[in-house]
Amino acid sequence: MARKSWMYSVLEAVQYEMRQRKDMVWLFELTPPVASNPGMPVINLEKEFGRTRVNNTGIDEMWMAGATLGSGLAGITAVTYIPYQGNGMCFQMIQNHAGKLRHMTGGDAEMPIVFILEMTGQTPGFAGQHSDYEIDTYYAHIPGVKTVIPSTPRDAKGMMVSAIRDRNPVVYLYPAGLRDMVEEVPDDQYETPLDKAALRTTGGDLTIVGSGGSMPEVLEATKRLQEGGVGVEAIDLRSLKPMDTETLVKSVQKTKRLLTVDQSYYTLCPGAEVIARVAENVDGARYKRIAFPDAPPPASPEMFLWMRPNADHIMGAAKRLLG
Amino acid sequence: MAYESDLSRDSREDEPTPSTSRRTFLKAVAGASAAVSLSSQFSWANGEIGYWAKDLPDDKLKEMYATMLRIRWHERTQADKMLTDPKYRGYNHFYAGQEAVATGVCSALRNKGPFEEVDLVYSTHRPSGHALAKGVDLKKMCAENDFRATGLNKGYAAEMHISDKSIGFMGADGMIGPGLVMAAGSAFGIRARGSDQVSVVFGGDGTYATPAFHGALNNATLLDLPFIYVLENNLYHQYAHYSYSCPMKDIADAARTYGIPGVVVDGQDVLQVYNAAREAVERARAGKGPTLIEAKTYRYYNHWGAPGAKPGVLGAFGYDPLAISSFRPEREVRAWLARDPIDIFRKTLINWGTLDQAKADAAEAAVKKEVKEAFEWADKQPLCNPEDGVKNVFVTGSVRAAQFG
Repeated sequence: MARKSWMYSVLEAVQYEMRQRKDMVWLFELTPPVASNPGMPVINLEKEFGRTRVNNTGIDEMWMAGATLGSGLAGITAVTYIPYQGNGMCFQMIQNHAGKLRHMTGGDAEMPIVFILEMTGQTPGFAGQHSDYEIDTYYAHIPGVKTVIPSTPRDAKGMMVSAIRDRNPVVYLYPAGLRDMVEEVPDDQYETPLDKAALRTTGGDLTIVGSGGSMPEVLEATKRLQEGGVGVEAIDLRSLKPMDTETLVKSVQKTKRLLTVDQSYYTLCPGAEVIARVAENVDGARYKRIAFPDAPPPASPEMFLWMRPNADHIMGAAKRLLG
Repeated sequence: MAYESDLSRDSREDEPTPSTSRRTFLKAVAGASAAVSLSSQFSWANGEIGYWAKDLPDDKLKEMYATMLRIRWHERTQADKMLTDPKYRGYNHFYAGQEAVATGVCSALRNKGPFEEVDLVYSTHRPSGHALAKGVDLKKMCAENDFRATGLNKGYAAEMHISDKSIGFMGADGMIGPGLVMAAGSAFGIRARGSDQVSVVFGGDGTYATPAFHGALNNATLLDLPFIYVLENNLYHQYAHYSYSCPMKDIADAARTYGIPGVVVDGQDVLQVYNAAREAVERARAGKGPTLIEAKTYRYYNHWGAPGAKPGVLGAFGYDPLAISSFRPEREVRAWLARDPIDIFRKTLINWGTLDQAKADAAEAAVKKEVKEAFEWADKQPLCNPEDGVKNVFVTGSVRAAQFG
């Protein structure tokens, strides 16, 4: 156990699995699979496993996703790390191929593959085509593909282990705004389930549900509300598909108040699905939904920070729900 | 440098020998301007294509020189600002080192006139050079890069996304690939309109590996579109050498597949770039189809921002934490700095008598003043109104502020 950065935790998981599986491959562009952590050995997958298995490709995300899928279909565990600039370019391969092939083949196709898709949208000044948090909605909509989104280094490692070992294609969303997070992460391999939400706090007055990049603001608002005497059940979805309906329903049955928080665009954001599932199962609850407006993120930090959901916005909405 | 002598040799092998008189003339230019090596400093006529630069009036040549200086001093001033002014929020993917490419190409285009007549330029994530060469207002660009409400795009775009439709600068496409197809698409539209406009896209060596490379060139060739693909090969896409993504040394070789001209030019020589661009523009306007121009060039700074750079010093030689495990050799950076496109052009213009040392110095001083004033103007511009973030999503109205629940 040591305090580890996000990327060190993830690469530690991958390094272990690659040592066990002598043909497992990793494809990347731009971001070499290298991480260091104070007092620990540098992890450099390219150096350790060589360019045949760890390949620095051109800027072609169709290739990266296709090569990952094709490797999987040929029986090879494959992971690709697609930086945020290209996380929509690979959509066709994942949505229309990876998501459909098992079903199309009557259950025959094997796809032990992971698409790590980096997301931005947390950083003021990036703007336009360099702000693309909304892919959580797009990928979670696809049948046949698991779509997960860890929000802590510890979950990032455990969910990476589970994703690699899963025989289904997994879209593993990486909210890059959380790259500076550091926490205690076990050295051993461990699995974190790909279908369970996490209760971050328990309380009886209000359920707040978020995921990925919205979690730090959710937890900050939760802390402030609890200090004010409000019992908050903060839930980190962790998996968008499959979605852990049971945990959500149980919580709102108790609190009768549900607030969802997303950095994704308002229309069809993960929170919309959360509210729909709860509303189908819980009577007499009240709801509010916070999300980024249905507008592309502008460059100006003044505009962007006004639009990006934060702890103050969550506090305001929570008070209106409680009032 | 091995690469430069190879470039010269290949070109001589591929093309008819230029006339003796022209070669003598060029050697004279080379002799006058060579500071590093004879083979790498001369401006040469590129075989079959016309040496159009010989016909350029002095005013046009001086304007091209000023454009290159404007790009250079914008970059240097902004890099210094990023390094020294903690309050400055702007950033850039610096273009310094590649000035001759943007200037040479845009000097061969129609940059003024009604939108239905002006030539179109699609840019990249490294757009400030293309923008200034096309004629974007320097002050407004500085304001935009610092997120000001009175900036080129009212603070919505910033560096990787700037555009100015009024002069046919269709915008920086921050992604790798889509810009090529959009530009070819504009050429498709232009052909339907029946105007003699051309559509130009700038792209880096990294674009070769994208499916869009083939999509754009294949369709532009099939339809004889007025499309010019200017591939700026600065050797690195992001942090990787282009040999990681392209099996050829000259990416222009790919043009043979489509049966269209694929021209390699020395991207440090603005006149060579201009000659190739002029040829491509005339071909495109005449309905004869696309051209692929590969300009061999180099960026003096790292991929993004100013890591490894020092205030007041051109270029970045130091550590770039973003490069993680792949670094550009310092000696490679210095070797390219030794054949700086602005020095080369300055020497040529002095040799031709277009400028003398004093006039060249005065031109530089005037541009430095202009750039300084532009940044000062930008500094005083108002910040954006936060609520405007939900405007301009559609033609009219604004979208709901969903962040408050």
